[in-house]
Amino acid sequence: MPSRRKVISGALAAATLSGPLWADVGNPTHLSAARTPEGAYILCGLRADGSLAFSVPLPDRGHAAAAHPSLSQAVAFARRPGVFAVVLDCATGISQHRIQAPAGRHFYGHGAFSRDGKTLFTTENDIDTGAGRIGVWDAADGYRRIADLSSNGIGPHEIIRLPNSDILAIANGGIRTHPASGRDKLNVDTMQPNLTLMDAEGRVRDTAVLPAELHQNSLRHIAAFPDGRVACAFQWQGDPFAAPSIAGVYAPEDGLQLAPMSDQTLRGLDGYAGSVAVLGTEHMAVTFPRGGLMQRINVKTDETLDLWRGDVCGVAPARWGGLATDGLGGVQRVEAHGFTKVAQYNLAFDNHLVAVGASS
Amino acid sequence: MRCLTLACVICAIGMPASADLEALRDDHILPRYAAFAEATDHLRAAATGDCMPGSVLPAYHDAYDTWVRIDHVRFGPVETQDAALSIAFWPDPKDRVGKAMARLTSARDEAVTDAAAFSQVSVAAQGFTALERLLTEPQPDPDYACSFTRAIARHLAQTASDVSKEWRDEYGAVLVSAGAAGNTVFPGAEDAERAAYTSISTALEFLHDQRLGRPLGTFDRPRPNRAEARRSERSARHVLLNLSSLKAMTNAFADVPLERINKAFDAAIERAEVLDDPAFAGVSDPAKRLKIEVLQRAVRDLQVVMAEDVGRALGISAGFNSLDGD
Repeated sequence: MPSRRKVISGALAAATLSGPLWADVGNPTHLSAARTPEGAYILCGLRADGSLAFSVPLPDRGHAAAAHPSLSQAVAFARRPGVFAVVLDCATGISQHRIQAPAGRHFYGHGAFSRDGKTLFTTENDIDTGAGRIGVWDAADGYRRIADLSSNGIGPHEIIRLPNSDILAIANGGIRTHPASGRDKLNVDTMQPNLTLMDAEGRVRDTAVLPAELHQNSLRHIAAFPDGRVACAFQWQGDPFAAPSIAGVYAPEDGLQLAPMSDQTLRGLDGYAGSVAVLGTEHMAVTFPRGGLMQRINVKTDETLDLWRGDVCGVAPARWGGLATDGLGGVQRVEAHGFTKVAQYNLAFDNHLVAVGASS
Repeated sequence: MRCLTLACVICAIGMPASADLEALRDDHILPRYAAFAEATDHLRAAATGDCMPGSVLPAYHDAYDTWVRIDHVRFGPVETQDAALSIAFWPDPKDRVGKAMARLTSARDEAVTDAAAFSQVSVAAQGFTALERLLTEPQPDPDYACSFTRAIARHLAQTASDVSKEWRDEYGAVLVSAGAAGNTVFPGAEDAERAAYTSISTALEFLHDQRLGRPLGTFDRPRPNRAEARRSERSARHVLLNLSSLKAMTNAFADVPLERINKAFDAAIERAEVLDDPAFAGVSDPAKRLKIEVLQRAVRDLQVVMAEDVGRALGISAGFNSLDGD
């Protein structure tokens, strides 16, 4: 017979995992953090037609969100070097939990759920040593911290889960920062970024790096193809006029390969990619907010479509192709022929747009 | 904590009418492209006559001046024709100009005698940056250098003529009809204002970070060889021309109070005028370096005032995501 204590914690867990579903909050298809004209920060749910399904306040500037695979629950992460993440019930706007980084740690702004939605993984900096860490939280038990893994590098930024598996992919950007010196980069001459694949227990399955002469190409953002390849977006830390390609693909058999990008294109981008998404089975979309450009790349043929939109950054898959947001408040569909603007808000959408319920 | 009501988030996005696109076109952009076309045609004529550096240099300087007076406008035909880099390829940390020129010269590539073929060679070899080397550095193969000089002069004249004509015949009308039905380039009036303002703010950033920042390097490691057009001692001149051109563009297009911005422009221009260091060789000399740093700070002040007085008045702020760095 179960003890009283077990029954109670079981009931609490059930309560947490039986909240409203995404359909109950106006059927958002995407989430994005944003800033209002008054300077307040919010998390928005967007529908397929660009309309706003909900908006809930955040305590400070957000960066990315992780959508729970089934419940209408999202974890909104503070921007680096923030120490909070907020678990929001998107139906009521009520913050259900506030996740606090442990002492001596800060978040990098991204996180990912396990396939069953019971575990949350967060990218973190161990401030004293600069080591990249992955925090593990029990979502079914009030987001209790249950483990702490090495990220296998410095400066882990985006973390994702590969489709139909519990393998995590981590973009270790390679750049050491310390909150005492703000966002200053402390090791640009020696940085060693990598893409790490690991299981939920922290066992490294693969580590992929670029050739040594490209060690200043900081891998920040990643997205998974259905077959387990990983689309990669980089931020070049050397002379922006000497930047190599800042988009690439990881495949288990080929490692990390940069996609061809012309010098002409690269010169306008300041060596900076802001976000990446996989659209369908063979296309990736990479945004370059400093160049006002999004490229849709067919990774099979290297065919590239240039889509121009000032400060475009957030991009995510959608049923018809994709959806992109920008810092000027625009929401546009990404279609085979280009952008179709579907909405304009008096908001500045933050870096990342996250598809809801798209993972499997 | 309650949900914000949607009404307070979705406000109307009307913008104050505080930009004059017709004045921008007629008083700034069209005359400057016309001057660029005329001066490069003179350059072509000069090179066709006597291609020796001594004869071509005056026309080179005049033509380069007219380009720097309009190189801040990066939207329109120069963008759609990818022309800016073929006109002047800088910055060039990988020495693409030197490599492209060496490739053509060592093969005595006949592309230099045929305009169509020359339009297909590396853009790094097609413009002022390559021409500068031909006119200021010893040429082991003077005959080939002569053909090369003529090819670049011809290419510049053709490009300038094409860009100027397209602005006059088509793009100028597109700019001033921003927001009209069927205008796909500028679907909203604010899109043209944004393009114009972005040209100015991007040019100021380029001035601060590249035109001044590259040769300055760091105090411990100044980089005089990174100064723009240093071989023909035009580095400081580009800064001065750039500043006065951006001041002119701001005054032509922004219908907002401009006292503070003009004062900031004048402060920077004054500091550029008194430099007396044409190729920024002084970046390695602490006393001279300080003057260039003071100029760079004046440009930074200008950037701030531009954002506050002009950008904000037009309802344009710097990109939320562009500035993020995450």
